[in-house]
Amino acid sequence: MPDPVFESKLLQNRRQFFGRSSTGIGVAALASLLSPELFGGDRKGAPGGLSGLAGIPHFAPKAKRVIYLLQSGAPSQVDLLDYKPSLEKLHMTQLPAKIRDGQRLTGMTAGQKSFPLVKSPWKFRRHGKSGTWISDLLPHMAEVVDEICVVKSMHTEAINHDPAVTFFQSGNQQPGRPSIGAWLSYGLGSETENLPSFVVLLSKNTFHQAQPLYDRLWGSGFLSSKHQGVKFRSQGDPVLYLNDPAGGASAERRKMLDRLAKLNRLREEEIGDPEITTRLAQYEMAYRMQTSVPELADVSNEPESTFKLYGEEAKTPGSHAANCLLARRLAERGVRFIQVFHRGWDHHSNVKRYLPTLAKETDQGSAALIKDLKDRGMLDETLVIWGGEFGRTVYAQGNPNAFGRDHHPRCFSIWMAGGGIKPGMSYGETDDYCYNVASDPVHVHDFHATILHCLGIDHERLTYRFQGRDYRLTDVHGTVAEDILA
Amino acid sequence: MPDTTRSCLFVLFLAPWPCLARAEDKIEFQRSVLPILSSYCFPCHGPDAGKRKAKLRLDQRESAVGKARSGRRAIVPGDALASELVRRITAEDEDDRMPPADQALVMSPGQVSTLKKWIEQGGEYRKHWSFEPPKKAPLPALEDSRRVVNDIDRFVFARLEYEGLAPAPEASRESLVRSVSFDLTGLPPTLEEVDGFLSDKSRKSYARMVDRFLDKPAYGEHMARHWLDLARYADTNGYQYDTERQQWVWRDWVIDAYNRNKPFDQFTVEQLAGDLLPGATDQQKLATGFNRNHGITIEGGIIDEEYRTEYVMDRVVTTSEVWLGMTLACARCHDHKFDDLSQEEFYQVYAFFNQVPERGANGFSPKKRLASPLAAARQVELTLELNRLKNELNKPMGIDGKLERWARGVAGAPGGGWEVLVPREMKASGGSTLRRLKDNSVLAGGADPRKNVYDISTRTEATAITAVRLEALTHASLPGGGPGRHSNSNFVLSEFELTVISEKKPGHKEVVQFVRARADYSQAGYEVAKAIDRTVAGNSGWAVDGPTRKKPATAIFIPVRPFGFKGGSRLNFRLRHEASFANHGIGRPRLSVSTDSPDLLQLKGVPADIRKIAAKAAGSRKAAESARLREYFLAEHNPRKGLRDRIATIEKQKAASFPETMIMQDLPQPRATRILHRGQYNEPGKKVEPGVPALFPEMKKNRSSRLGFAQWLVDPEHPLTARVAVNRHWQRIFGLGLVKTSEDFGVRGELPSHPLLLDWLAVEFLRSGWDTKQLQRLILNSATYRQSSHVGADSYRKDPENRLLARGPRMRLDAEEIRDASLAVSGLLVPRLGGKSVYPYQPKGLWMELNNRPGYSREYKQGTGADLYRRSIYTFWKRTVPSPMLKTFDAPEREFCTIRRSRTNTPLQALVLLNGPQFVEAARKLGERMIVEGGKSLAEKISHGFRLVTARRPKPAELAVLEAAYRAALERYVGDEAGALKLLKVGESSYAAEVDVKELAAWANVARLLLNINEAITKG
Repeated sequence: MPDPVFESKLLQNRRQFFGRSSTGIGVAALASLLSPELFGGDRKGAPGGLSGLAGIPHFAPKAKRVIYLLQSGAPSQVDLLDYKPSLEKLHMTQLPAKIRDGQRLTGMTAGQKSFPLVKSPWKFRRHGKSGTWISDLLPHMAEVVDEICVVKSMHTEAINHDPAVTFFQSGNQQPGRPSIGAWLSYGLGSETENLPSFVVLLSKNTFHQAQPLYDRLWGSGFLSSKHQGVKFRSQGDPVLYLNDPAGGASAERRKMLDRLAKLNRLREEEIGDPEITTRLAQYEMAYRMQTSVPELADVSNEPESTFKLYGEEAKTPGSHAANCLLARRLAERGVRFIQVFHRGWDHHSNVKRYLPTLAKETDQGSAALIKDLKDRGMLDETLVIWGGEFGRTVYAQGNPNAFGRDHHPRCFSIWMAGGGIKPGMSYGETDDYCYNVASDPVHVHDFHATILHCLGIDHERLTYRFQGRDYRLTDVHGTVAEDILA
Repeated sequence: MPDTTRSCLFVLFLAPWPCLARAEDKIEFQRSVLPILSSYCFPCHGPDAGKRKAKLRLDQRESAVGKARSGRRAIVPGDALASELVRRITAEDEDDRMPPADQALVMSPGQVSTLKKWIEQGGEYRKHWSFEPPKKAPLPALEDSRRVVNDIDRFVFARLEYEGLAPAPEASRESLVRSVSFDLTGLPPTLEEVDGFLSDKSRKSYARMVDRFLDKPAYGEHMARHWLDLARYADTNGYQYDTERQQWVWRDWVIDAYNRNKPFDQFTVEQLAGDLLPGATDQQKLATGFNRNHGITIEGGIIDEEYRTEYVMDRVVTTSEVWLGMTLACARCHDHKFDDLSQEEFYQVYAFFNQVPERGANGFSPKKRLASPLAAARQVELTLELNRLKNELNKPMGIDGKLERWARGVAGAPGGGWEVLVPREMKASGGSTLRRLKDNSVLAGGADPRKNVYDISTRTEATAITAVRLEALTHASLPGGGPGRHSNSNFVLSEFELTVISEKKPGHKEVVQFVRARADYSQAGYEVAKAIDRTVAGNSGWAVDGPTRKKPATAIFIPVRPFGFKGGSRLNFRLRHEASFANHGIGRPRLSVSTDSPDLLQLKGVPADIRKIAAKAAGSRKAAESARLREYFLAEHNPRKGLRDRIATIEKQKAASFPETMIMQDLPQPRATRILHRGQYNEPGKKVEPGVPALFPEMKKNRSSRLGFAQWLVDPEHPLTARVAVNRHWQRIFGLGLVKTSEDFGVRGELPSHPLLLDWLAVEFLRSGWDTKQLQRLILNSATYRQSSHVGADSYRKDPENRLLARGPRMRLDAEEIRDASLAVSGLLVPRLGGKSVYPYQPKGLWMELNNRPGYSREYKQGTGADLYRRSIYTFWKRTVPSPMLKTFDAPEREFCTIRRSRTNTPLQALVLLNGPQFVEAARKLGERMIVEGGKSLAEKISHGFRLVTARRPKPAELAVLEAAYRAALERYVGDEAGALKLLKVGESSYAAEVDVKELAAWANVARLLLNINEAITKG
């Protein structure tokens, strides 16, 4: 038999529960707990925007937002950021077995008989007050070394692109988990009513063997799909379906929305479902986006000095430089997480021919972004990151004359700058062979923990329960790299 | 506040557990104690042996009340103060206190006192509710049973009565028929269905209406669509390059199974182990595609075993989530932390799925050519036609008679039969130029991009055009002396395309489908038919051995049916040169059309001497002439060759409708299964035998095979399968399951809101013989379901998620339903069942911007005609770039099993509905329906559209808004006819020529408003 007394008692509790204001649990948190979709909108008073979680940030954040320039395909640390004078002597000698130490190889070099080390064909020089070593391939980055922190001791577990980039984006090699941007949208919510909280920009790919990207890299996994990244495109509508249909009366857009609102309100009065009000608010935000996005994407009002800084290429939509400029404009408008994807670093052959092209495509825009943010007083509140999904082998793949470099998970370099990061430093060292991390290793999970830390989040406390388990971006790992924090 | 505490509160307040806890203060284990123990204590004192401290288990009473090495007992039943557990959770000293300080978990005073009280009351444990088989409880008595339709209502109303609430009034008839239609078919009701129901005054009208929807073929599509989320079905392989696969035949199996109402136990066994059934039929083998729907990688550098392991893992995880309502995945790397499930047990289940003869990279085998159950009729048709043609081929041909008929035709036909087209506009890619020459051929010059697409626009007065001719001529300016632009003289014509537009009514256009092609020369492997195979993938195209042959070449293309508009046609040709061979454009093309019968068509026109001979009567030809005529006829028009070509074409069609589909199969010699340390493929440990976790009932038969596992799942004694299945149906219909965490029935999952009802439904489902249609009949006929959801804001505020069921279900439609509904109300929907996936409208460039690596990617090739208007279940599902329209409305990526979709409300959704071409076009066609079908007055027309979308009539205030909208739009388009025309041209379908364009555009605007009201995308 059902127990009426018991059920009734519970329901009384429930009524009281709804009736009382708050007993140790925030009203907003309670509301969002009971129905996140219905109540999610109002914590920060942004009707169209997204609210974050109660209690987050956990501590005072250093950065308000992140611009992450992801270099897909994996740039060569040996030739760009990790200066190895030791290779002068070791050049064309074989990689000792004890250095390789059982490292599994990809299917591409597993059959190779010899592993001759090849030094970088490019010169490295010291730059700035910090004296940071930078390859001649990155002359613009050389000018901002005092603003960045080069992390030379990154390492990962994956040895192939798909699992490796999925790992960087979501903390897991297999698809299915939320991306970093989605985690931040879930935890911190949005700062703007006119734009999404997580925006993705894709650079046009020019390399014939580039790695593909996937929607899941900015997906929301098991989090609500409202947290997934929104792509801003350089062809067609900047946001999908943003523009009125051909022959649509854009001048009458407002009137149409007013009529729509009237019809919806008539219905709401009768039914009482608050979802209708929420939908009205979304139509209003869509309306604002129809103005704010084109305004954002239109760089024609930028002064000539901007293009001096970012380079003429920034006038070509879809170039890395244009996307760096767009990233700054998005940051100015309160977008929380901006990720630029640039492809083409996967140089299994002829590094000498391909690497300079890629370096040139990305160098000026990346450096300009740092300078620009600094000039605008935004660098200290914006965390900027540049890096790929793993490194490349110090030994040659294929013919040593037109050598390529294979995937290398054991050490690689990235740089971070701005909000919360110590400027003008290099962190971590690799061994003489540029094969293993010699000191201060930073694992991908540590990297994630550090990003969250800069944003005021304890990575162990940003969780989401799914299938009975409290998931984290950092899984059950991750240590904040304290030494690089400002 | 940490998440764990929250969910405890949630459980406490929302999930009554009625069979327990009668006395006022009785602490109930499941509801109050287990959530605390599982969150705070199980991580170190739970099922996970690896993490267990002090050999103490608090998930098992024997261990909890037993003596520890220290001599103390964690729980002394009836004596909280003597219990070590209580001492530790209240200890002042940090070193002593539990949970340990480093775990960032702090028990609240309330939780501590709950545990104390529970121990005082005897510290009783109970097995987790969902691990006990469901039992039917006696029906609760009601004070007022007038509203009861069936027993579901007794459980729901009993709850409401005790709460002092009454059920909401019954919803309006219009609202009911619309909800039932969406819940059973995923489509809005037609006006005939609405009116039929409204006018049926009998007592059984409602039940009859439900049955009618259950019988529609659209039912199977709708049910299958939900199943595809669980089955992580997609048309691509996921991972890296995300290449294509052909699993749609399996998808058709699911649709068919639902329409046949295959009992859920058979549905289960066939999908999990149909291949192992004695005398397994092809269809039972096809069913096993379920567990081959996981992603498969082709990435060059991967390690086989690593990915093979992932595939097996995926099968275990998906199967457990779908049938057990819980993931076993937590036990992949270690013993489960909350449910009593060891890592060893996980690998015992893994062993059932570890027997497929497959590999990690390119792991597509085993595969088999199997017919779609929905294509069966078409298969029979093709087979009959093949037999007929083959018979004919074996019969005497009667060549002489045919020759004479042909000769008469040639003699009577106008000279040559080809009208050479005058090129009017020409353009080519990447800086190359096209120039018209005197003979109306087009000479290519200028820059020579790697890939080149020529657009050549011409016109003709001809109608009933039966063929198009393409001549690839040579020219002195071409580098190699042959017909191609490359220095080797060759060309590769990837695709030859033609769009015909009426000059009188520019809205009328047709993309010509070519079905046959002939050429005077084709290079081996580059047959001319490859220029009309609708793919530019790889190097599929027509080439002519340029390097060695260096001669002009001619092709003719035959359309599926004659084309050409009265009053003149504009012919827009597109010659695509997109093979991976660079610079392989045709140097000097010339285009012609003919209206002759295709049998009479010559590549170059009939030679004059043949024409002369043909004109003579048969008797008056000289012997040499007859011989010459016969020789020519057999060379050009051999009737046997025609037959053979047709046979080949049909055989190809037949094969194409039987693609190779991935299915399950077991190795002849079982593969040993070992526990994988930390779940890593390269760290195998102890060998295990197949088996099921001890937590559950034992397997009764076929204990070591996957078949036995499937049969075990549907054993009537199984505690989970029926509950999990009925809960998902409830979730689909009411928006939330009775167990909200439909993906987790384990210890950490939420308790059911109506546990007795859940069990009653589960038992009823079993009793009916797992009858899925009957289950839905039961739910949809209940008074609970029929309640109105129009109950005022107060009700929504008090119970936002409707957990009490004091009102009817109300929720936003799913992505597919939203698109399908707009197609249905506009009259565009093509309700064809099954078949290959299709490519509806999609913004350009979405595939290539993520992956433009030659040979591993292609453009999204938008379909034409019917393919644009099929139901969304047939939309090609690319895992790494799913349809943006569907994704915006919360469709998952299908990389993994999804039990519960999000249901969000975002600005991007507004943009899709307002501006997406599919919806703008649907609005236009809906506007047309309003004009044509709606009646005379403005109000009647508006009402018609309103009813199509919402099933109800508009209220006066609503009508007023829509009338004003119409007037404003009309006024605007009167001043902007060009704008009106632009709007009408969105979408491929033609617009009604008999109606004024301004009028049409104004109605399209009204319809656009209708498709955007919240009601249009909401059920209930």
